[in-house]
Amino acid sequence: MAQPQLQQPNAAPGIDQSGASPSFREWTQGRTGRRAFLFVILAFGLCFPFIFPNEGIIDAAANALAFAILALGLNIVVGFAGLLDLGYAAFFAIGAYAYGIFASHQVQPEWWGFWEPFQWLGFVQHIEEAGGPGTVHLTVSFWLMLPISAIIAALFGVLFGAPTLRLKGDYLAIVTLGFGEIVPIVARNTPYLTNGAMGLNGVSSPSLFGYDFGIKSTPFFYLGLALAALLVFVSIRLKDSRIGRAWLAIREDEIAAEAMGVNRVKLKLLAFATGAGFAGVTGTFYVAKLQTATPEMFTFPVSVMLLVMIVLGGIGSVAGVVLGALLLQLLQSWFLQDLTQWIHAFGNFTGIEFFQKLDLVQSIELIFGVILVLMMRFRRQGLIPERAAVSALSHAQQTAVPTRGAIQNALAPLRRRAIDPNKALLEIRGLKKSFGGIQAVRGIDLDVMPGSIVGIIGPNGSGKTTFFNLITGLTRPEGGKVLLAGEDVTGLPPHRIVERGIARTFQNLRLFANMSLMENALVGAHTRTSTGAIGAVLRTPHVRREEESSRARVLEVISIFGNRLMPRIQHLAKTLSYANRRRLEIARALVSEPVLLLLDEPTAGMNPTETLELTDQIRHLRDRGVTVLMIEHKLAVVNEIADKVIVLDYGEKIAEGTPREVHSNKEVLRAYLGRSTDEIAKAAAAS
Amino acid sequence: MIAAAKLRREQLVRDVNEVMIMKQSRHTRRTFNIAAVAGVAALAGAGDFAVVQAQQKVVKVGVTLPLTGADADDASKIQHGFQIAIDEANAKGGVAGYKIEIVTYDSGTATAGQYDPAQAATNTKKLISDPQVVANLGPQMSGEGKAMTPILSEADLATITPSSTNPDITNPKMAGQFRPKGKPIYFRTVTTDAFQGPNMANFYSQTLKVKSVYVLDDAGAYGVGIADAFQKQAEKNGIKIVGRDQLNPKEADYTTILTKIKGLNPDALYYGGVAQAGVKLAKQAYDVIPKMPKGGGDGIQGGSFFTGVGWPAVEGWYSTNAGPHLTDDPAAAAFLKTFTEKYKQQPTDYAITAYDGALVVLDAIKRVAESGKEVNRTNVRDAMQTSNLKTLQGVISFDENGDIKDRTVSVFQYKRDNKVPADDYQHQQTYVGTAPQS
Amino acid sequence: MSSWEILLQQVINGVSLGAMYSLLALGFTMVYGIIELINFAHFNVFMVGSFIALWVMHALGFFGQSDVLYGLPLVGVLLFVLIVTMLGTGLLGAVIERYGLRALRNVSGTAPMITTIGISYILYNLILLGVSAETINYANPMPPVRWEIGGVVLRLREVLLWAVSILLMLALHYFVRRTKMGKAMQATAQDQEAARMMGVDVDRVVLITFFLGSALAGAAGFIFGLYYNYTNFAIGYTAGLRAFTAAVLGGIGNLPGAMLGGVLIGLIESLGGQYLEVRWTDVIIFSILVLVLVFRPTGLLGRAAPTKS
Repeated sequence: MAQPQLQQPNAAPGIDQSGASPSFREWTQGRTGRRAFLFVILAFGLCFPFIFPNEGIIDAAANALAFAILALGLNIVVGFAGLLDLGYAAFFAIGAYAYGIFASHQVQPEWWGFWEPFQWLGFVQHIEEAGGPGTVHLTVSFWLMLPISAIIAALFGVLFGAPTLRLKGDYLAIVTLGFGEIVPIVARNTPYLTNGAMGLNGVSSPSLFGYDFGIKSTPFFYLGLALAALLVFVSIRLKDSRIGRAWLAIREDEIAAEAMGVNRVKLKLLAFATGAGFAGVTGTFYVAKLQTATPEMFTFPVSVMLLVMIVLGGIGSVAGVVLGALLLQLLQSWFLQDLTQWIHAFGNFTGIEFFQKLDLVQSIELIFGVILVLMMRFRRQGLIPERAAVSALSHAQQTAVPTRGAIQNALAPLRRRAIDPNKALLEIRGLKKSFGGIQAVRGIDLDVMPGSIVGIIGPNGSGKTTFFNLITGLTRPEGGKVLLAGEDVTGLPPHRIVERGIARTFQNLRLFANMSLMENALVGAHTRTSTGAIGAVLRTPHVRREEESSRARVLEVISIFGNRLMPRIQHLAKTLSYANRRRLEIARALVSEPVLLLLDEPTAGMNPTETLELTDQIRHLRDRGVTVLMIEHKLAVVNEIADKVIVLDYGEKIAEGTPREVHSNKEVLRAYLGRSTDEIAKAAAAS
Repeated sequence: MIAAAKLRREQLVRDVNEVMIMKQSRHTRRTFNIAAVAGVAALAGAGDFAVVQAQQKVVKVGVTLPLTGADADDASKIQHGFQIAIDEANAKGGVAGYKIEIVTYDSGTATAGQYDPAQAATNTKKLISDPQVVANLGPQMSGEGKAMTPILSEADLATITPSSTNPDITNPKMAGQFRPKGKPIYFRTVTTDAFQGPNMANFYSQTLKVKSVYVLDDAGAYGVGIADAFQKQAEKNGIKIVGRDQLNPKEADYTTILTKIKGLNPDALYYGGVAQAGVKLAKQAYDVIPKMPKGGGDGIQGGSFFTGVGWPAVEGWYSTNAGPHLTDDPAAAAFLKTFTEKYKQQPTDYAITAYDGALVVLDAIKRVAESGKEVNRTNVRDAMQTSNLKTLQGVISFDENGDIKDRTVSVFQYKRDNKVPADDYQHQQTYVGTAPQS
Repeated sequence: MSSWEILLQQVINGVSLGAMYSLLALGFTMVYGIIELINFAHFNVFMVGSFIALWVMHALGFFGQSDVLYGLPLVGVLLFVLIVTMLGTGLLGAVIERYGLRALRNVSGTAPMITTIGISYILYNLILLGVSAETINYANPMPPVRWEIGGVVLRLREVLLWAVSILLMLALHYFVRRTKMGKAMQATAQDQEAARMMGVDVDRVVLITFFLGSALAGAAGFIFGLYYNYTNFAIGYTAGLRAFTAAVLGGIGNLPGAMLGGVLIGLIESLGGQYLEVRWTDVIIFSILVLVLVFRPTGLLGRAAPTKS
């Protein structure tokens, strides 16, 4: 047996420490190294206005920070959840105009009694006018508007997202593009609220304890720095949490995520709304600083520019998108004109006309296009690749040798459920489904007793996987019923099925390729945990305990497979061997504490040794209370462990019984061999 | 077991390589960043250093224009107008012994496709942080002006614009927003839309005897403003507004709205906007409503409208200019000659108001220097306020808000003159007269 | 004009607009039908096509609308320019597929679409920076022939537009249904893997699909120039979104659907503008896009829902 890998707590995944002190390179990857790096960056940021006391440069830097926040928000939508949003600037606009409406001279309704309590609260001012009731000047505080704009934008995110997030990725992109176009048009055509194309007038500037920001850049710079730091913190916390893992799972494989208990729609909406909230905050910040806003500031090219920023920096990587945003924004507003002059000077020096004429400011969009194409082709992960935020395991945890006892513990939660051992756990009646004109499943009945292993066999195309899909909610049945411990679960969405206690694996393996083994398995725990976005950010003791217990559970389950999976716990799923991937799928399903486990060809592709090992493990699982429904092609496996076998052919159940009974069944033989053979049947019965 | 260990080792090697590449690229990037920052700092420093070395009295004047995007063509002509004035002054040895140096900032970004208020603001901040800058020339568009003026006011830096016509910026009611310090810093050598639009409405009702009109705008800040101003005055004059709608400048097809207008059959059409939508409108209007009188503001005055539309579609279109007609004026002839020789293109009327604006600034600097006071922003601003200067467009002086006192709006009509080449923009417009004041 | 005449005129306008969108949507929907990729670059290939056609016209000596031809010479010139343009943009499309997109064909997620956005930007800016930012008057030898019935006007160029659109659609339809390559395209559209296993050279099919789709885009670009008498770097953008909506409305992947969708969008634009206001056209059309995608993603004539997730 190879020894499990030693790892120091601060080491990067996959690097063998062997007890030697980390080199500088490795140190920077580790937690203390990263913290030191962050500290340096923060210190630089704080001293920035003193290092470069030029108002223009500070102004450009403040704008760049605003775009960094926008990039962070878009990163949540595109990078974490994998939803291509091409109209993100719409939320930027919403945040900006929200502030513009509530804190400027733009909207000035006539004064009447209704406004008095608001005046008392300090939200409005009464502008006296001779010979009239006067008008209302809305002056909601900037500091109050920051979170309010975030909420308003998030609400719009939900509004836009609700009807559209079910759409496939391409379509979603186009629809978001549409929304991104509609918002500026509406802004332009509602001059009462926004002053339309002429731009907002009279936006209030923020003041802090009596210090008025006015149009000074430095206070806005520090505010931007604070906001950026806060939202970087929020992003990082979200990423390394139950919510973040669910998002990544959706990004990697939506169907599998749903099948593991992730409520896709809810989480996509959450990603959309959170991203929108970030943009809302930035909108308010930006418009307070600029003191005006025009609809042209929020058009499609702005959305694309943000996309370029995160593609360049590294989709999914928090540090990457901040870098990408700062780089491109500073380039555009500060460097580019100077850079053009250098190039002109160079051109004059060398006499090359192309350089003399080149104007980078105008060509920046061309450069954006080139960046997109090149990055997608050659470096999809961006400048700073996203690294899944993974906490390392301690040495002790890794070297623990699994014992039989540990396996018991792994399945302990299952015992908490009260299952009547005399009634069928799973009852299926008349389950039906057709696709187009083809009837894939025609009225199947089945009873599965608790604590049994039922095998499902049949020729290719007989509807076995469709049958599984119907039970687990991936496909809606057209008729029939599915009852789990007496409860009707027919047609429920997959994540609800998992909640009820049915988990599954996939015939063609649906792991989350770019997530580590630990993270893959942790997604399985999604339905048994409840930390939301806010909890993820705050990381209260309750949340931390829940996270720890999830991890402990994962370790317990993984230990069932001994040191096949345990040493590789930090490795990305795509780096695992085929057999290990199959094991991981089963482990992931087990983490969700199912009472019924649906295995779709679990030993496919395994060699005989591995097959035997897995067969044995499945039997142990059954012995400890997990009911298993298993599609298999290897009849030896079925014979070994199945208590009951059903045979499907053309969507119908043509036989049911013990493995032996089924083998000699004429119908089964005809289905497999294509012709009825009484002789073969007799011979099979005799063997 | 050995195989497993080997796999593990290979994986390790791969991981380490990946980390090394990441580190290397980060290292290279960091080096580059440091080098870039150092380079910029060095150049900035070197710039100042060079100026000090020059040992001549130098005064800087900023030029802020959207030299990128949809307005770039017209902006560059304005820039040329400024340049000619400055060059002439420097050729004579400067102004009161001071050499004039121009610092140019581009307020356009390719992303916005036109001026970007945020970029204009950043540029203005850069401008004011250079103590040698005593005045500014520009901007071209009112949208940038709105973002710039609070910053200019804070720094007491005056600017003079040849073409920004939105009245809000100099409106005393909005002084708190646009010039918080109170003193006017936004001077213009053109009159505002507060006059251009309404005067054209007067022209329509008094000269063209129009009784009903359909109003269009192009959704832009300028277009909406001038169309609104036109509409308001037209209503006051008793012209019936048959309808008002907005064109999408990115759209290609306006036959729908033109057919609608044809059905409503007004006496005339008014278009507030610039060439982007204007060109398509004019071309298609020639097809659908060729006989209807059509007019617009200074947005369709420029060469791009003329060349884009071409004959015969452009025939008969009226346009206005927020200033007196200049290019036929003999005094302007010399300027025209210089312009066409140096830049190989024809100037627009705004190139002339730009030239005049630069003259105002130069004159102000001269008066400050000659009076013995220090040539700084505050004094230059005060001097600009009290300008009374003869220029190509006549005598320029400013009211208490910084607006030009001369409120003339000139009306032109595109009429095919076969004696002149078809694409000679200057001579294919007939000066019709001044638009009646309200 | 009486209100009936206005209605009729707007219907004619709408159908003409629609024919333009259909032409643009055809190539787009064809590509999507085969490889389920939303090709943002398609609409800027259309724009490049209009420039290529213009340059060919200039090369032949035509400038502006003053040199007018009739009869056979007119047809000859237009046909020649059309063919050259289609070859040019077809080639451009093939190059884009071969060098920009092929490597990403099996990458799931957002990468291929982002690449097409990048290519779109590149084409747009190459013309903007390399050629001109101006709106350019088109070279058009067509005579300004028009037929008037009461107040209603029908122009020669509208007839041309409809004729070309219908002809191209029929040609495409014939090609896809009757020829061997067309059948290979259909097979690839249904199941790439299966087609490959049946001996279809999928790479070649995709390349030819892009060639054809882009050729159609180029044809649309030339027709656009002739119809509106101008071109500039920005014509791809708005026309593109409308054409995309037309394709989705009709049923993406469905050729007659593209025609139907186009005409419907055109009618909505013209009738909406007449009876409401032109300023809300974009909002109306986008709302339709959203509604169709949410409630009937297969579109009006579409077959099975797109399978790629």
